[in-house]
Amino acid sequence: MMSDQAIHKIPIDKRDPKKIFAVVAIIFAMLIFAVIYLKISFIEMFMGLPSFVLFFFEKFFPPSTANLKQYIPEVINTLGYAVISTYISTIIAFIFGILISKNTNKFITLRVITRGFVNVLRNIPFIIWGALLVYIFGVGGIVGILALILVTIGFLSKSYAEAIDEISEESLEALRANGASYLQILFHGIIPQFVPAWIHWTLFAFEINVRSSVVLGLVGAGGIGVLIDTNINLFKYGEAITIVAVVVAIVLLTELITNLIRKRFVN
Amino acid sequence: MNPLLSIKNLVKVYGKKTRALNSISIDFYPGEFIVVIGPSGAGKSTFIRCINRLVNPSEGEIIFDQNHIEKLSGRKLRKECSKIGMIFQHYNLIGRTNVIKNVLHGQLSNTPLFKSLFGLYRHEDKQEAVELLKKVGLQDEIYKRADELSGGQMQRVGICRALLQRPKLLLADEPIASLDPLSATIVMQQLHTISQEKNLTCVVNLHQVDYAKKYATRVVGIKKGSVVFDGPPSQLTDAIIRDIYEGKESQMELKNTNGMQSEIEGECSIQWAGGSNDE
Repeated sequence: MMSDQAIHKIPIDKRDPKKIFAVVAIIFAMLIFAVIYLKISFIEMFMGLPSFVLFFFEKFFPPSTANLKQYIPEVINTLGYAVISTYISTIIAFIFGILISKNTNKFITLRVITRGFVNVLRNIPFIIWGALLVYIFGVGGIVGILALILVTIGFLSKSYAEAIDEISEESLEALRANGASYLQILFHGIIPQFVPAWIHWTLFAFEINVRSSVVLGLVGAGGIGVLIDTNINLFKYGEAITIVAVVVAIVLLTELITNLIRKRFVN
Repeated sequence: MNPLLSIKNLVKVYGKKTRALNSISIDFYPGEFIVVIGPSGAGKSTFIRCINRLVNPSEGEIIFDQNHIEKLSGRKLRKECSKIGMIFQHYNLIGRTNVIKNVLHGQLSNTPLFKSLFGLYRHEDKQEAVELLKKVGLQDEIYKRADELSGGQMQRVGICRALLQRPKLLLADEPIASLDPLSATIVMQQLHTISQEKNLTCVVNLHQVDYAKKYATRVVGIKKGSVVFDGPPSQLTDAIIRDIYEGKESQMELKNTNGMQSEIEGECSIQWAGGSNDE
């Protein structure tokens, strides 16, 4: 009996169970509130499912492959946007990355300003950049490229800066000790050690940009997305589904290739 | 003889209160092989790093080769630093760069940026780099990436890099503290031999008192930021060593402290010294 009691007096968790319960309850309450506020009916959603599936198979199938050849230029356009925007962003983002990392920029003010600017770029979704830029430049490829560049700079600058931060101060110390200049430390000390992260993040940005440049077409900023939009508006569902399939193929192929490059170069 | 390096009232304060160096004054003469000993936290590392301004001293003077190092900045400081070679505990090589390029980094300060970018180092620099690598037995690793080498090999590359600066003074901050006993012996031996050959002045921080006694022409003991011993190794008695390491006896790295020292030589002591120092 004594030992039984002693065992019960050893708690294995010191946290207050009421606190955990409260947190879980709050999260659940948020869901309930959202559902009630938006008057979302799960029953309706569920009941609508059969007609959705029916519509899908009736209208979208069979896919029409008649105009497959006509998509090729748009596919190349889309990939072209991704290539150009990734290319330009990586150069600008590298400069920003250097300005943001405390390893390469000792001036706090400049660091904070650059980081703030980059955060603005990153936190505005590219679709909004696209919609804004369409008003300025009108419908066309340049809008898509610009929107992608702006967001990619935001994304890459931060990733690059973090990678540069991770380069150990120690290895750079040696170069500083033997009298190398700032630029020499940058080119001989930082860049060689930054290369794996640079390849990794740039390929990642390219993947995102391929996917994004598809969506950009939907706001009239060029690329294959335009075709999806036009065909659905013209009730040519068969063709639309083919284009969607082409898009999926492009994205998968891009990921396959970038993964191969990564395996080959990053280690 | 004029001192090569003259340090006067050197003080380093970290933050507001931590006095790492407490008014150190000392002169180093050409050709000396100085070993600085002391427990960790005594200020050895801060002391050696103040000499080439990796750490900026708070007060005092550092006169190297008739130049006030503490007053220099920018290009002038870099020029003086290039005359001081340095070897680090963690080697501090650029891991993804190959061995010979790492060694040639020793000549960066004398090479314009665009030339160094395209690898256009002077022929005699490249030749000397290869010769140095041969001398330390790394002739087969010249084009290997530095991160493919073992610790001992990396440190030997570090030595070559420092020597390619053709320095007047060589600093070494715990050069063998991260090495296994055998590599430690090799590295220390090579460092000693080469600096004797080139008649280089060396300042070496060491944990290992036995190495200090073996190689030094002069031993400096630092304790709580002050010099408590300065003299030839023959004058370094066990009592003095015990005083330097007072309160931190576990770091003494002595073979043993009860008079049996001379009986156990070589491997055994080295293993003890190195083994307990794997940080």
